[in-house]
Amino acid sequence: MTREALENKVLECVAVTFRKTIDELSVNTDFKADLGGASILMVGLASLIENELDVLIPLPTVATCKSVKDLVDKVEAEL
Amino acid sequence: MSVLEILNNKAKLNPQKVAFPEGTNEKIMQAAYECGKEGTIIPVLVGNREELKQLAIERGYDASVFTFVDLQDEAYQNELIQKYVSLPNTLLKEKALHRRLSDPLNFALVMEAVDEAAATFAGIDTTTGDVLFSAQQIIGMKPGISNISSIGLCDIPNYEGSEGSLLAITDSAVATNPTAEELANIAISACDTMEALLDWEPRCAMISYSTLGSGQGELVDKVAQAVKIANEKRPDLAIDGEFQLDAAIKPEVAAKKVKKASKVAGRANILVWSNLDVGNVAVKLIQTFGKANAYGPMLQGFNKVVCDCSRGAPVAEIKGNIVISALRAAGAKHHG
Repeated sequence: MTREALENKVLECVAVTFRKTIDELSVNTDFKADLGGASILMVGLASLIENELDVLIPLPTVATCKSVKDLVDKVEAEL
Repeated sequence: MSVLEILNNKAKLNPQKVAFPEGTNEKIMQAAYECGKEGTIIPVLVGNREELKQLAIERGYDASVFTFVDLQDEAYQNELIQKYVSLPNTLLKEKALHRRLSDPLNFALVMEAVDEAAATFAGIDTTTGDVLFSAQQIIGMKPGISNISSIGLCDIPNYEGSEGSLLAITDSAVATNPTAEELANIAISACDTMEALLDWEPRCAMISYSTLGSGQGELVDKVAQAVKIANEKRPDLAIDGEFQLDAAIKPEVAAKKVKKASKVAGRANILVWSNLDVGNVAVKLIQTFGKANAYGPMLQGFNKVVCDCSRGAPVAEIKGNIVISALRAAGAKHHG
């Protein structure tokens, strides 16, 4: 999967989890500042990524991601 | 009769299956065994069946007290997965779930999610973070509740409140600086927890330095807002405030300071602190000067009962928390 395709896939997961449209998001979106970053939603996001991309990113690792780009980096490293 | 004796007697009437993913730990095995032998729970040890059985025998226990569940039992794994994925609103699909089942904590939580166990008891060898994250992912949160919190039960000598010497307090351990919405969730969870545990009719006071507007400021506003949110979300519960501590628990003070009708003022049995600074100081004051025994902290907010036990806890304390977890689980089934 190309980096761009992966970014799009992760953005889709973020959009579903935080009930946003893709247009409202970018890789620079900040989980805390822009999305509120509720921990329960981050749990949902980690689960969705695991279901959709078949890659396990431990929840404590997901919780350390400041932006969508950080999360894409973590997923890419595991693929 | 002490609180623990009361709880033990109650648990014996309807012993629940409690799953222990850390059964190899000596203290956990001893506590689970003693509870099982006394008839307060049905202990289920999750891990490597042969290893657990061997350890139990080496430690001098009657292995028939335990139910052993083997992580490698593929038929049982598949049964759990099929039951789990058919549940509504679960976060994990089949493949992700299968990956989880190699870990005893996750295995135990899946068993609980599909009603093969009533509660999961962990935390002695696992970090609090791991227990909380796994529980959020596998068990999930109670509908309408978005944050985890904890509650403690204090037995205070010479205190004569509306439940005798008992008083429930929340949150003194988990939620650092809850928003008004989160504080409302803590109050709602606390009411459900205490109703399930001791069949109380919850009377929950949201504590502040102000009683119904006697003081002003953003701290007061947060608590008042939390009362409003809680009442809107759960009008069936008696949650009131903002009250000062004395107005919450002393009828004579409530009579002077609270001019509106209130089921809670002066006779609260649950106190909700505005943040963890207050909660931590308060529980230590109660223990130090009130010479109280404090039980818990019990985690709340999850869809089912999950207990994160303190790593340094002695066996007696672990047993108390196991029984409390089992009773909460039994109570939640009863009260719905």
